[in-house]
Amino acid sequence: MNRSTYGPNKTLRAMNFICNAPQAKSVRLVGDFNEWNPAAHPMKHMPDGAWLITVELKHGHHRYAFLVDGTLTLDPHAQGITRNDQGERVSLVPVS
Amino acid sequence: MKNAAARATRPAAGAKKTRERRAGKIHPVVIYPFRQPVDDSDLAPLYELIARLDTEKSQYARPITVMDRKTHYANETQKRFQEFRKGTVARHSDILDAWCVDTCQMWYSGLGMAFDKGSPDDVYWLIPGDFNYGTAVGRDVLGRLHDLPEICMELDQDVCIGEIETDHNNSKQLIDTYGTFALLYNWFPAEARELRQYTERPRSEFFAIRHGFLGEVLRQRWFAYEQTVVMLLQAVSSSRRISRFFVGNVSDLPEGSDSLASAMQQVERTERVLKTIWRERHQPNPGWTEEYRVLEAQSEQVRRTALIVLENLLG
Repeated sequence: MNRSTYGPNKTLRAMNFICNAPQAKSVRLVGDFNEWNPAAHPMKHMPDGAWLITVELKHGHHRYAFLVDGTLTLDPHAQGITRNDQGERVSLVPVS
Repeated sequence: MKNAAARATRPAAGAKKTRERRAGKIHPVVIYPFRQPVDDSDLAPLYELIARLDTEKSQYARPITVMDRKTHYANETQKRFQEFRKGTVARHSDILDAWCVDTCQMWYSGLGMAFDKGSPDDVYWLIPGDFNYGTAVGRDVLGRLHDLPEICMELDQDVCIGEIETDHNNSKQLIDTYGTFALLYNWFPAEARELRQYTERPRSEFFAIRHGFLGEVLRQRWFAYEQTVVMLLQAVSSSRRISRFFVGNVSDLPEGSDSLASAMQQVERTERVLKTIWRERHQPNPGWTEEYRVLEAQSEQVRRTALIVLENLLG
């Protein structure tokens, strides 16, 4: 990710989330930005087996995870790790 | 499993509270390199960042630079050093001149000084000065470091560790894999498992820490070295909120720090610190010496094995 400034950028930015789970029946993106609602961001199964969704996010740091067939799953390519309000490990994405 | 996941992902009451940015300030604390680099190519971009932070007074406190007096005296006749100190370092930060036995004492002094000026919503951001910030990847890292204190602020974290990427044969990687974690698993197995869920770099010099937690670790006995490990052990033991953030693949400036002797010393220091912490925590328990002797014997084996591995790979 290119990050050219040290200060905040107020605009929304389109972010791609990719989950490599070719055998899964459903993958959903959950995070602070959708109040961890499993119905909010279903991901699309791509021809290569990966799951993809593009979400516009505000500047800042967002906690998220994938729900792979209902199981909370970390993004192995995430830039960071933290915990959600339930104490589960989740991924971290910066948006600038 | 589905029910568990659905239950787990439901936002808790008051979850929004943690997303609100607090009104605190970020205190940048730069640890000036012990040895003055041969040119300013790595320090100049670092202090360009510090200069920028110094102008954003609503978000950042006045930066602090900790400079060992030995560094000062070793370079006091060097015009280039004096000019850089006066024209750049002192211009954009308050210099804390201190006699320090090692880098950890520089941290202690610098973070302590910032803490004294801080308030409960503040976050303290440690920035080691002895990295190759002048390279392309170094500049990229400089562009990411601000994420560490911002994560503490925005996500209400007690500590955020910055993780650097190195190849498998890098001395830091080898020391952590065969030394630090092996020793941690011996002395503090539960904490080690927890820590490894966050980071492969428990000795990272890049981190940000919240006021309350910094106050807690400052007031405890300050161990002579491997402070990040001590701080993370404390964070895990007291169920603090920990985050990890990848900052890039920056590397130390060459100071012989990747030598075998240095690697051995770092493993030995880690063992000494872990033994001391273990004793302090367990000495109130009756019969602790018996358990200690068992762990110490195992620890010696772990350390010897680590030193053999390091000798084979670095020697």
